[in-house]
Amino acid sequence: MSERQAARHGTAAGAGIGPSPAATTPAGTATGIFDRDLLDRCISCGFCLPACPTYKLTGDEASSPRGRITLMRALAGGGLDPDDATLREQSSFCLGCRACEPVCPAGVQYGQLLEQWRVHQWRGRRRPVLARMLTLAAGRRGALRVLGLLRRAAHRRPQPATDSGPARPQLMLGCFERGLFPGVSRAAAGLVPDACVPTDQGCCGALHAHNGDLAGGERLARELGEALPGRIVTTSGGCAAHLSAVLGRDRVVELSEYLAGSSFGEVRVGGRRARVALQDSCHLRNGMDVWREPRRLLRQVADYVELPSAAACCGAAGTYALLRPKDSRRVLDPKLDEIEAAGIDYLIVVNPGCQRQLIGGLRRRRSRVRVLHLAELLSMAASGHRA
Amino acid sequence: MALDGRVLDQLRDIVGAEHVRVAPGELAAFARDATPLFHAVPDAVVHPADTAQVSRILALATAERIPVVPRGAGSNLCAGTVALRGGIVLVLTRLNRILEVSTDELLARVEPGVSTAALADAVDAAGLLYPPDPGSRTVATIGGNVATSAGGLRGLKYGVTRNYVLGLTAVLPTGEVIHTGGRLWKDVAGYDLTRLLTGSEGTLAVITEVTVALLPKPATARTGLAYFPDLAAAGRAVSRVLHGGVVPATLEFLDRRCIDAVEQYAHLGLRVDAGALLLFGDDGDGSTVDAHVRDIAEACTAEGAVEVTTAGDVAQAEALLAARRCSLPALSRLGALTILEDASVPRPRLAEMVGRIDTIAEKHQVTVATFGHAGDGNLHPTCVLPDARDTGAIARAEAAFADIFAAAIELGGTITGEHGVGSAKLPHLAARLGTDQLALLRRIKAAFDPVGILNPGKLGS
Repeated sequence: MSERQAARHGTAAGAGIGPSPAATTPAGTATGIFDRDLLDRCISCGFCLPACPTYKLTGDEASSPRGRITLMRALAGGGLDPDDATLREQSSFCLGCRACEPVCPAGVQYGQLLEQWRVHQWRGRRRPVLARMLTLAAGRRGALRVLGLLRRAAHRRPQPATDSGPARPQLMLGCFERGLFPGVSRAAAGLVPDACVPTDQGCCGALHAHNGDLAGGERLARELGEALPGRIVTTSGGCAAHLSAVLGRDRVVELSEYLAGSSFGEVRVGGRRARVALQDSCHLRNGMDVWREPRRLLRQVADYVELPSAAACCGAAGTYALLRPKDSRRVLDPKLDEIEAAGIDYLIVVNPGCQRQLIGGLRRRRSRVRVLHLAELLSMAASGHRA
Repeated sequence: MALDGRVLDQLRDIVGAEHVRVAPGELAAFARDATPLFHAVPDAVVHPADTAQVSRILALATAERIPVVPRGAGSNLCAGTVALRGGIVLVLTRLNRILEVSTDELLARVEPGVSTAALADAVDAAGLLYPPDPGSRTVATIGGNVATSAGGLRGLKYGVTRNYVLGLTAVLPTGEVIHTGGRLWKDVAGYDLTRLLTGSEGTLAVITEVTVALLPKPATARTGLAYFPDLAAAGRAVSRVLHGGVVPATLEFLDRRCIDAVEQYAHLGLRVDAGALLLFGDDGDGSTVDAHVRDIAEACTAEGAVEVTTAGDVAQAEALLAARRCSLPALSRLGALTILEDASVPRPRLAEMVGRIDTIAEKHQVTVATFGHAGDGNLHPTCVLPDARDTGAIARAEAAFADIFAAAIELGGTITGEHGVGSAKLPHLAARLGTDQLALLRRIKAAFDPVGILNPGKLGS
């Protein structure tokens, strides 16, 4: 019997040592945690390793996408205890940035696997308290209002009659954006003048899906899809990717896609064109393949500088910056060095989480670089802004 | 068999407690490399920082009779880094410095954990070229490349890893540190241990530093693509090119099934009525490269190519190369279990070998698509099974590959061109080497590793 056969039948000399080989038990059948077809897609080639920010930090297989899938397989196959400490740690240490997806030759949908994994890992009281509070708040419009997160940024424009609605784009303003960065919502509403901007929109559920409540995340996205019939324009990469995953790609247009081909003026600083760089939104880039569009717009209105790590996660990663602040800063720090060395006036973002993370990081360093959402910069360009 | 607490304490003394992993989940993550079907959980995972630590770990392992499996990025395809007999997985990714790039001496010194792409980029910045370019270059480490003598797309013109290794620092299983070769192109003092360790798959010593030879960077590169009615015609075109005195940098082929799969997956506008696709190209001075690409295109036409395209610029070249790059992604999407294999035959027998593979696949009722390197006769027959748990189908695939390796040997070829033997090919090694040579391999293994701790159950066992 060859080692291959021996390993498969669990009778190799080493197979009796430690937990039994993960592959000997069918994936997903033991506990039903994972979609078996999704888990089967991984061919373990390791092409994801260099793309993974947490593997870059540790050099440890367990904190790489392939290593995490091997862990998921061990969990699904009964090779590891469902409450194993490494399972718990790695499901939480992962940023969920999905940088592993575009480089995967086998088309593994890692983001979906991570969501399924967290449903198991963060079940019931195992879910971090902060994540529970945030998802609870975001899932209820009343709570959002009490927390001051749902401001009526779009009060200027009443919701039109339903019959004329679907033809016009629906502007969806992320709930955290409206709370933290109302200026972005105002700028976006100005850039999409023909859009309906319903004032009573709920949360899209991305927060829930990424934090162990996949069913809640899907339900909220469907509800929002009903509240905003037709094409939904969004300013938040994270919301866009989640909505498009639930409602379908054709329902969702991220702002830079929507504005592609439009003409703006330029933004000038001290008598010259402004110098700007972009921080991609991970889910917008890795989940929706939207990254050329914001760059084209930026080149139109300013001198564009590509940061070496523009496509890599800034460490905000939804709730990650709140749940794992130390790791979040370890991911962010090298990027701040790059930003400060790039000689730029503005760092442009396309997601409110990145905006919060980078404003905070650059403020700590007393940097002169200002962080703006793409909508804010384009709005400045359209009005002939001079600084 | 969990490791003794006393041994674990000694390991922690050597590398620091945080670099010794024994938690069940931490071990489970190392149960796989890139080889399908071979999985085993080690007893400990240890991440040393330097040669001295590796030396102490190996001395301890020999004294305690603990298996040690050296590992880089774990991207090998021969189960070379899976701990099938348990023991310690020794991960060398912390040794990841590029120590020197010398434009005067045309060489670089690197630690084993540096990725092939990182080395290539660093020497490129100095105007130099490190030619070996295995498909996993962004992931794979130089240590792993040397351990398997990794190949790549430029084998015919530039050779493989072994042609570029000048010197090694390596730790013997008994703890001694040896320095083989060095910075010299000419050095015949002693047996060529550098070449012996290159391709030894972590069974003789642990490599902790590598000195590689470099070349000046070619000024330009051009690419073209030709369709043929069948692989035999493509094979004749390759012969005609070489007879004409041109040794191209790139000569890659896709068989009919690969063309179909790639087109279905990537919609590149490939001709699915063709029997074979040949991707060709050369690098060097502008005028020479232009002349060579023209010569190759003419040779293809003369041998019955139904269509020949040459790329005018980089964007077009990238579009042509996409067909080859998409091969594995496209094939892997055809099913749930992808077994990417490796065999080589003398170049003139390539088309015949692909014909044999088709017959064998039909006999065993499995789907095998083949792509590979037409310049050096290295083929990658790839079997895709619809269900990862269909043990009957897996057994048929294994039987088919056994026949494929036997056919390769019959045609004067070998059971692996560039992936390595590891555990995956060990059952076929005797057929390739014969009993006398296999016995010699085992005696060499015993000379290096008297108690057999290094990568047991692999090459040399």
